[in-house]
Amino acid sequence: MKVLIANRGEIAVRVIRACRELGLSTVAVYSDCDRGARHVRDADQAIHLGPSPAVESYLRIDRLIDAAKATGADAVHPGYGFLAENAAFALACRDAGLTFIGPSPDAIKRMGSKTGAREIAIRAGVPVVPGTEAPLGANASDDEIRREGARVGFPLMVKAVAGGGGKGMRVVESPDALLNAVRTARSEAGSAFGDTAVYFERRILKPRHIEIQLLGDHYGTVIPFVERECSIQRRHQKVVEESPSMAVDAHLRRRIADAAAAVASAAAYTNAGTIEFLLDEDGSFYFLEMNTRLQVEHPVTEMVTSLDLVHWQIRIARGERLTIDPDRALTPQGHAIECRVYAEDPDQGFMPSPGLVRAIRPAAGPGIRDDGGVLPGYTVPVFYDSMIAKLIAWAGTRGEAIGRMTRALQEYEVLGIRTTIPFFLWLMREPDYLAGRFDTSYLDRLLAARRGQSFSTFDERDEVHIAIAAALDAVMRSRGASSGGAGSRGTRGSAWTAAARLDGLRG
Amino acid sequence: MTFEVELNGRTRSISIERADSSDRFRVTVDGHATLVDVQRTGQFGLSMLFPEDTHGGVRVSLAPGSAPGELLAYLGGRTVPVVVNGRRTGRAAADTGEGALGEQKVAAPMPGRVVRVLVAAGDTVEARQPVVVVEAMKMENELRSPKAGQVKEVTVAAGASVEAGRVLVVIE
Repeated sequence: MKVLIANRGEIAVRVIRACRELGLSTVAVYSDCDRGARHVRDADQAIHLGPSPAVESYLRIDRLIDAAKATGADAVHPGYGFLAENAAFALACRDAGLTFIGPSPDAIKRMGSKTGAREIAIRAGVPVVPGTEAPLGANASDDEIRREGARVGFPLMVKAVAGGGGKGMRVVESPDALLNAVRTARSEAGSAFGDTAVYFERRILKPRHIEIQLLGDHYGTVIPFVERECSIQRRHQKVVEESPSMAVDAHLRRRIADAAAAVASAAAYTNAGTIEFLLDEDGSFYFLEMNTRLQVEHPVTEMVTSLDLVHWQIRIARGERLTIDPDRALTPQGHAIECRVYAEDPDQGFMPSPGLVRAIRPAAGPGIRDDGGVLPGYTVPVFYDSMIAKLIAWAGTRGEAIGRMTRALQEYEVLGIRTTIPFFLWLMREPDYLAGRFDTSYLDRLLAARRGQSFSTFDERDEVHIAIAAALDAVMRSRGASSGGAGSRGTRGSAWTAAARLDGLRG
Repeated sequence: MTFEVELNGRTRSISIERADSSDRFRVTVDGHATLVDVQRTGQFGLSMLFPEDTHGGVRVSLAPGSAPGELLAYLGGRTVPVVVNGRRTGRAAADTGEGALGEQKVAAPMPGRVVRVLVAAGDTVEARQPVVVVEAMKMENELRSPKAGQVKEVTVAAGASVEAGRVLVVIE
């Protein structure tokens, strides 16, 4: 079996690794700016798709199918994002005789519509957050929007029907802000998903985001897994996930898992999927949506169950029966935390920080897993999501996992660009995070209260060490240059070394 | 050799003399002298030991950043721009807070696409009021006015692709 991975970055690397482990050969695809990307180097074969913008490369169904045919691939793994939840792509793969490693086109269509998924959940007897039943399409009048808003009640959430990853989502506190919020949500949803339809949902005030990973085979077996806690979000985008949740005991876990399995069974769902819930302070939970793909945060589930979800995706797609012990899937062994390392500058409001990665040293050691997508010398492009790696820490208890994560973050070096590593180091010391006291708006509240202070804080001793290092670096580079050594190798940033050299010699 | 090293708004004077061996230096920081044993670790890392100061050790990496002339220091998972001998970086210059005076430009911090222009020439704006929305890396980023004042000029329209550093709006 040969698998084409219709994706890039860390998830393409993750899937290539799983294929290798199962003895399958791999085909990578890439855009112009990704020729030097890690997934291209790691795969057995690689095919160029087109220009850098995703619509001209990673979203081109025709070219992906052609690439599969040209390389003789028999299966396609979509990763997450891009075409992972696109029913037309799953269908095109099927029509071309390729095995799509994911759910059926019908299941993607059924569960991909957020309003359609709500109906299925209601039919399965699972509670949903009160909201609009029919989506508000591009033609919905202002009056209609106001009327629906009043019916759902404020505060409410505006969400893109095709949404995901926090895009096309807005909180609206009062009726007068509704039309504006709908306009911006539509604009974001239009450019991200090509669909501007939105719907409203009543806002639960202090919810946790709890989700259940599922696997379903082609023989009617659905296995739900121990929950993931994904309440640490910045602007509705998950940044830290963990498993299990401190807010879920064994009894509640069983109830949420049963609800998730009921929804998946009602949708005749196969392969890997995730059902997201809001957990209210009083312990009641509501179906939010289903993600019909592998999730970014799947590693925390793998770490606490010792199961490989990508292996299972492939095995299910090959027609194998699920042989996982359901109790094992629901019983966490220890605790796992994931930090999403983004090429963003946390000190500039998390502004994207693309650019040349001059060196990268991932963390390692006991309990640490680095799902990275970037090698040194790669230029993080501006065209795609800015996540460059996922750092996962596992330990026997949550406290120990936080200790390991902190140690690993201190080891992790990504030189040449800014990343969110300093932000995670700060978060791992926050009392409410340590105590597990948070909801989905916790991080935004906390960040607003900091008013843009730097996350990289140094004491006097640190600052002196850095200053000494900078001076010694200048001295050593000037020596290297005069003796034809390291400094003359001409790194791209030689402007500053040359300047320091001159000034240093003068001084 | 003496260097002026600036970080976090403070400049330190560092003088360096060769000590007994090629990788040992006598380093004086603002008048306080200490011995430093240094080795390069890779192209950007420095391992420093302080034999006279409880034998403490520290590893610092220094690499050019993506802004022109920018030098970034990395220590224990944290990052800070440093300036050696007054080579001020673009980003640090923008951070000095002198922004409140005179004409100010709002420039694109990264390449992207202008989604919306929220002001027109002649508009009055508050400090930190959003003026342009630029989409980059799939997220919409609001660029804000650095000061209260009047919009002197808007140099882009919605839909335009812009390079990093391109001036979008001028506030006076």
